[in-house]
Amino acid sequence: MPPQLRLNAVAFVSSQNHPILIRTFSQPKQDELKYHYIAHTSLDVIDERITAAGATKSTECYLGLLYVEDVAVYGYMTPLKVKIIIALELSDNVVRDIDVITISQALHTAYRRSVANPFLRLHAPSDNVTDHAVVVSAGSQKWKLFRERVDEICRAVTLPAAA
Amino acid sequence: MATPGSTTLSTAISALADPPLRMMDTPALDYFLIEVVNTLRDSAAVATARTKKLEQEMIDAGLLPPLNPPTGTATNKRDSTMRDSLGSSMSKGDSSQSKSGVEEDDEALRQRLETIGMHVGANIAERLCHDRPLFSDTLDAIKFICKDLWSTCWDKQVDNLRTNHRGVYVLQDNAFKPVTRLSSWEGRADAIKRAKLYVAMPGGIIRGALSRLGFQAAVVPEITQLPQCTFQVKLPKGS
Repeated sequence: MPPQLRLNAVAFVSSQNHPILIRTFSQPKQDELKYHYIAHTSLDVIDERITAAGATKSTECYLGLLYVEDVAVYGYMTPLKVKIIIALELSDNVVRDIDVITISQALHTAYRRSVANPFLRLHAPSDNVTDHAVVVSAGSQKWKLFRERVDEICRAVTLPAAA
Repeated sequence: MATPGSTTLSTAISALADPPLRMMDTPALDYFLIEVVNTLRDSAAVATARTKKLEQEMIDAGLLPPLNPPTGTATNKRDSTMRDSLGSSMSKGDSSQSKSGVEEDDEALRQRLETIGMHVGANIAERLCHDRPLFSDTLDAIKFICKDLWSTCWDKQVDNLRTNHRGVYVLQDNAFKPVTRLSSWEGRADAIKRAKLYVAMPGGIIRGALSRLGFQAAVVPEITQLPQCTFQVKLPKGS
């Protein structure tokens, strides 16, 4: 039986550290605030890692395991400064880097497809990049497709692996 | 022991992570640019006519101080019929300003082209950054623009990149694709003048890509001699 990854939550944070989307997939619904908190604290860890990586001149997108607090939190930073934070349930199985990187890339693709829609922010000023983060937290109706894409990724993750 | 390249995830998510590339014909971009300039010129003329009419109404109602009429300037001859009909309807308040009106229209047109370019550039940059590592510094980002963005949009790379190491970069292309085939029967100077409008959109593409990368830059396209085109990119201090 191949090991399965249980994806608990996914968070996207913009370059100005505004939350874009935080989506949880664990069973008990009251844990959503906990994942907001986890995303917030992982921002600090990410900043630490980035400055450390800057000192050693490494240009790796994948930031690895950030910290563990009854879920394992992994970070990935795109070249466009959008941070993707993934919370995986702790298990005894070995979680490989390549798997988390694949999940992060799938999430990045979903984000990119949704943001490419010019009708999402018709009236936003063209200079400001952070506006879309504000729009998401305000009226989440338009970002429904983005949420569905993220849900699809989660479903694909928890499926058993092809032989 | 599993091989290092294999993954425990299903093939579905690998497909989602690396979607197949979608290709587009480069002539499509050329045709689009030609048509969009003409279409937007008309559309910008309609929009400015609307605002001018509103201004005129407000002036008549006494809400705004009246505009100074400049000494009579010759009306500029335009080919499009839309412009002629607008010219007659705007003749009441604006015939004396029609010369500056033309430049204003061009300015509105350039704004629109640049905004379109910004959207396109931002999204292309997102797509191109999918697999690559982080940018190590500003120069790296500019080089990415010179190489990846240029070869995606216009099939070649920038010929010359100069910098003064204080935030100003000059990208020079000796045969810039959108203007290579541009010529005017009124002579080279007129061709250069018209070409200035056509490079507004590529300038917007560069600006949009830079803004998505995090740099609020000002991009100024310049043409001194067809088909050579330079883009001056000014990054704000401290980046």
